[in-house]
Parts: sequence; structure tokens; C-alpha cells
Amino acid sequence: MIVGVPRALLYYVYYPLWRRFFAELGVGCILSPPTNEAIMNSGARAVVDEACAPVKIAMGHVLALAPEVDYVLVPRFVSVEPRTYICPKLMGLPDMIRQSGQKTPPLLAPDIDMSKGYFGLARALMDTSRCLEKGLWSTVRSFHHSLAEMRRIKHKLIAGQTPEEAFHGTSRRRKPGRRLRIAVLGHPYNVYDPLLSMNIVDRLRAQGIDVITAEMLPLEHISLGLSQLRKKLFWSLSKMVLGAGLYFVNHAAEVDGIILLSSFGCGLESLVADLLERHARRQEFPFMQLTVDEHSGEAGLITRLEAFVETVEGRILNARNLSPHGDHEFRHAGTP
Amino acid sequence: MPSKVFLGLDVGSVSTKVVAIDALGQVLASSYLPTQGQPIAAIQSALREIARALPPGVPVAGVATTGSGRVMASALVGADVVKNEITAHATATLRVLPSVRTIIEIGGQDSKIILLNHGVVTDFAMNTVCAAGTGSFLDRQAHRLGVPITALGELALQATSPTRIAGRCAVFAESDMIHKQQTGHSLSDIVAGLCEALVRNYLSNVAKGKTIVGPVSFQGGVAANVGILRAFESALALPVIVPEHYDVMGALGVAYLAQPIAGQTRFRGFGVVAANCQVKGEDCDGCGNRCEVVGFSINGRVQAYWGDRCGKYSHENYLSVGT
Repeated sequence: MIVGVPRALLYYVYYPLWRRFFAELGVGCILSPPTNEAIMNSGARAVVDEACAPVKIAMGHVLALAPEVDYVLVPRFVSVEPRTYICPKLMGLPDMIRQSGQKTPPLLAPDIDMSKGYFGLARALMDTSRCLEKGLWSTVRSFHHSLAEMRRIKHKLIAGQTPEEAFHGTSRRRKPGRRLRIAVLGHPYNVYDPLLSMNIVDRLRAQGIDVITAEMLPLEHISLGLSQLRKKLFWSLSKMVLGAGLYFVNHAAEVDGIILLSSFGCGLESLVADLLERHARRQEFPFMQLTVDEHSGEAGLITRLEAFVETVEGRILNARNLSPHGDHEFRHAGTP
Repeated sequence: MPSKVFLGLDVGSVSTKVVAIDALGQVLASSYLPTQGQPIAAIQSALREIARALPPGVPVAGVATTGSGRVMASALVGADVVKNEITAHATATLRVLPSVRTIIEIGGQDSKIILLNHGVVTDFAMNTVCAAGTGSFLDRQAHRLGVPITALGELALQATSPTRIAGRCAVFAESDMIHKQQTGHSLSDIVAGLCEALVRNYLSNVAKGKTIVGPVSFQGGVAANVGILRAFESALALPVIVPEHYDVMGALGVAYLAQPIAGQTRFRGFGVVAANCQVKGEDCDGCGNRCEVVGFSINGRVQAYWGDRCGKYSHENYLSVGT
């Protein structure tokens, strides 16, 4: 028996948990390939037209796995912590797939609802193993190992690895570069999807820029950032983005600038991006929002990235040229 | 006769600009031509114009390219610097008008805002998904109204009471204009309304949330339109300066960036105007991405590749981000 895991959406957060869980249960588990144009196109054709690009990509991954597996894992994430929720389009994903009229293997779609407490996860895993006809004892043991695996992965993330690197052990030594550090924030399935993000993390790293993402921050830092808000956010994905963003804005020594990568038409981001931008602007902190969608033209992204990096560098250079006393002394850019 | 010249090329979606400056930064010659979907031919004709305007035999000491076609332009002419448009525009403006704090740039398909302070860029933004409120939209509307694009600005100034046009979306703006025409509004009122709509759209979309501090410089091809200039002045309640070389500022900016180049330039010489250039696209079937890889060759020899996501072909180019 083989379960397919689509390399999409919350794969970028929970894959190690599922991988370990299935391994402990003795169930085969395969992963769809990294997103490519063919996956995106097949997904876009199959899913409802108002869906965002990440959901279209997820559909594409399900279709890519379909011929090879007995089940496709599409958990219905409702909530991953008390009093917060996941985006409704992600909640509705199993239904969207079932209603798409596409031929797919049966879905493994446990409801994951931790809004009332963390036993919600245990219940979801029990439901999953019941579908796979596994016993209670092996489920409990597997659950235990899965949680330990998640903690191990979090250490790797905090050490600066991206989820893909941490999950697959593909982290490589990077040469030290121009000593610039930029935070790339956004929902993990936007930031780490190679097609959607146009490899933004690798692009920046290739220029010798250190990239830090929300996933690489300890959770205490996220909470510290969120303590700036007057009201509690109830969207989990936005909490990560905004918590990390506010933390950086108020700890300006940690990064030199923030790039927020969001997908076109994202309802959560429409609020959070504006909120974060206001805070960044108030502190005169370099901030740029990049909106991505299905388009494949990279020129727009490259131009904006390049200009942002140069803006950040220009500010640093300029700060060094400022006189510590009274009047500002500065040289114009371009003066030989 | 100048001892040496530096060339700046700005290959945009709609127009191609080339500027030649001397060692002191004085503009010796400039050329502005429509790209018309054929950037190579446009670059070649623009360079031909420049070569004709320059004294014969003057050496070219540095070349730089910018604009959405900068990578191809660089492969064609052999550039020493390849820069994004934001840096190019900021560099030019800081040299020409050092006191400017805000740059409004509206080109064919891009519009930008650049905020400057103490001689550096502090913030910038570009239009996102939609080209409403850029030059191509104005061009199309001028064509539809049967007014030459160059006369659009003067016409707007004759308006007595500008009509209100929806500026959010080019499609809605067009249907709104047709409606206004059919209810009998004068052409000048409609055109003035269009100018105001474009400015409103720019301020709420591109300049969203940014504080615009004077002096303001308005540049790019659309700055030729006095109607838009007046609309900006009244919307911002600030004086707006249009620099002398407003239409070629990007090219001028990269020409300045080419100036510090020491050593041998990579410029292939003005001979490229007659070179036989070929661009050949081929679908790579290495993976599911099916990238359309473009190979660029001059006189039968491949000079550069682009369009591949993985870098299988383009890794040999010097064309990656940040060069």
C-alpha cells in the first residue's frame, strides 16, 4: 500500500510528521516532484477558477501522484492551535478535489482540528491509521515518533535551513557573501515553492545574501512580534508572517530588510501585508511586497529584487556616511 | 571633440532609448525610438542614429543597459554594466536634479515611484499586475479618439470641466469614456478626465501609502503629456519638475553608471548595427517545466542563452541577477 504526499501547501510544514508516521506504520509513502509548469497547468485546469495559485498547484500535485498511489494524503487542516484557523480554501481542499470531476485515488483526508486542544492532532492520526487498517498501539507509537521528528526538524530550520533542505538533508555550505541579511516572509507554500517563488531564496543566496524566513525563527520570537498587536490574530499562517515581520521591524539589527511574498488574490495577505507595511514604514524599515501568480515571466521579479537589494545596500552605505554631529554629510550616488 | 563617450541603452517594452555622454556627463546625443516588438532592430537603428550624431572616430569607453530588454541588449552590444530601471532612474535624477525627493516615472508598461533621501533610494514601488495608467493605455485611447498622442496633453489643457473617468482598470476606463462621448461631453473634457483618472490610479496603486515629498521629478515617456503633469501638480499640491531629458532618463542613468568603468570596455563597436542577429527559441524537454530557451547569436555564433529556469544553458552567461 502506497500513500502519495503532494509537495504543496502545508507539506512545507508537516511533511516530516507524515513521513515518520507512515514509516513507523510500515506504509509506503511517496512524494510528488517539485512543482513544475506541467503540474501547475494541470492543476489550474482542474480546480475552480477563483482558487489561488497555491491551491491550483496543490491540485496539480494530486493529479501527478494519481497514477502511482493507492491513497493521496490531503488533510483537511481546520486549525493547528487553539483559537486560530487555517485559510478556508485550504480547509475546503479535499472537497474541491472530490468535486473537480478528476479521476483521483481515494483521498486520505483526516480533519485536523486543534482549535480545542492538541488532542485534535492525535485524533486525526488515529482516523488516518484506521483508514489504513492499522492497530491502535502502533498508531500511538508512530504518533510519538512523529512529534519527536518535528522537533528535530525545527532545530534544523532554526539553524537556517529551508524546509526542503531540512526535510531531505540537502543543505549545502554557502560561501560568505556581501553580509546582507534579508527576511523573506510569506506563507510557506509561496516562499518555498520553486515555481511560484521563482526560487527567490536561492536567488538571494546566490548573491551572497543571508535569507531568514519565519520558519527559521524560534516561536518565542514570533510571539514577541505578535505582542505588538492590540488584538489577537486568528489566522495561523498570518500569525507566522506578521509575528516574524513585527519582530524584525522592532529588532532592526537582525535583518536589513523584509520582502513579503504573497500570491495574487490572497484574502489573508490583503490585511496582513498592509498592517506589516504600516509598521515597517513607521520605523523606516526597508520593506517590499512581491505579488506572484501563475505567470512565468521572471523579468518583473528580478528587477524588483535587484532594486530592493540595492536600496538596502544604499541605505547601509549612507548610514555610514552620516556625520555623527549635526548636519548630515553625504555624497550623491554616482559621484565618482 | 570629446576624448571619449559612454553609452546608455534603455530597452523598454514600448520604446528604446540610447544616450551618449562625455566624460563630464554632458549629453552629446540621444535617440528615442519605438521598440515595436522588435528590440534588436530598434537597438540597431537607435545606435545608428547615435553613431551619426557623434563626431567620427570618438572612442566608446563604456556601455550599460537597462529596461526590460536589458539582458538581450547587453548580449547584442556587449555591455559593461546591466542595471535595473529603478537604480538607473535614481542615478540620473540625482545627477541632474540632486535635490529631488520623489521620482514619478511612467513608461510604456511600467510605472514606478522612487523615494530619495540624502542622495540614496529609500523606498520604491512598481505597478503590480495591471498596466492601466501607463503609456500604452494612453496610446490606445489617443488612437481610439483619433488624436495624435503628442496632442493629447494640449487638448486636456483646453478642458473647462473635466469629466470623471473610472481609472481603476483600463477596460472600465475605456467603456466609461465611450459612455461619456455618447452623452455629449467634449473631447477635451474627456481627455482631461482621462489624465486625472490616470493620476488618481497612479497615486492609489503605485504610490499607495507612500509619503510624497517635494521636489518631485516626473519622467518617462508620459511626462511629455502636459495634461498629466498639471493633473499631478493639482493632485499633489506640489511643484512637479520635468527634467530636460525626461524621456531618456533611464538610459542617461546607466550611462552615468558606465562612467566609472576602468579598463577595456566589452562594447562590440558600432558595427553591431549591421550585424545579423538571430534569436532562436526552443522548447527544452529536460523536465516538466518545458522552458522556452532562447539562444541569441550574432553572425551565426551563439552569444548568450536565456529563458531556462534551471540555468542549464544560461549558467555560462554573465547575466544573472546583480551583475
